Amino acid sequence: MSIEKAYILISIFLFLSGLLGVIIRKNLIMLLLSTELMLNGVNLALASVDRLVGGIEGQVFALFILAVAASEVAVGLGLVIALFRLKGYEGSSEITHLRD
Amino acid sequence: MEWLIFGFLSSWAILSVFGVLFLKNPVHAILSFVSLILAVAGMFLHLGAELLAGLQLVIYAVAIVVFYVLVITTVPWEKVKRFEGFYKKELIFGFPVLLLAFVLFAYAVLKGNFARVGMAVENNPKAVGKAIFTTYLFPLEVASVILLTAMLGAILLGRKEE
Repeated sequence: MSIEKAYILISIFLFLSGLLGVIIRKNLIMLLLSTELMLNGVNLALASVDRLVGGIEGQVFALFILAVAASEVAVGLGLVIALFRLKGYEGSSEITHLRD
Repeated sequence: MEWLIFGFLSSWAILSVFGVLFLKNPVHAILSFVSLILAVAGMFLHLGAELLAGLQLVIYAVAIVVFYVLVITTVPWEKVKRFEGFYKKELIFGFPVLLLAFVLFAYAVLKGNFARVGMAVENNPKAVGKAIFTTYLFPLEVASVILLTAMLGAILLGRKEE
């Protein structure tokens, strides 16, 4: 097993634990933080595959993922703030308007 | 030596991930997220992606984390107290599924082979910068437009209703 494959395993672990955080966390802000975990895992996988394969395209793509992460955090936290101000919601179990 | 660095960085990252997932207080979770970001930046340095490591430090550890801390300070503390922690039932049902997914992915990675199209690039940041500003110039401009749109959207979402 080469070191890049070990790093790919770590990146898979990061992605899946971000998914677990999205599933189990109660707070909306912590949900967004878990998506950041997933994005970090994807970036790590891209960088390690880049070294494994020998190229730079993965790193360029990871830069675009960083830009998307920044904009996602801006819009997502804006949504959380708006939701809190309009409805007073802060937990992921309170948003049930589409279900009811 | 390489495996020593890998072991140190990966155990650091795994500890921080458990902090992000299971710490009750949101501020503590964000602090362990900062620690995770430092570990991932170290991994990028180890993998030879120096530009990505620097950008990881600048964008994540400074911009995004400060954003989270600002938002947490705007939300009243007693509201956050009601929704801290995690759902136990979802943890019990979700963990085996994700463990199975991890085992499947790990099997695919360990047994599979990767194609080798080139060799390791010398002077990585220079090559990445050159590729960004020549081959990937149009996606870079699109990314800047996306950032501008996100900024406008955040301002519109965050302003006070009249």
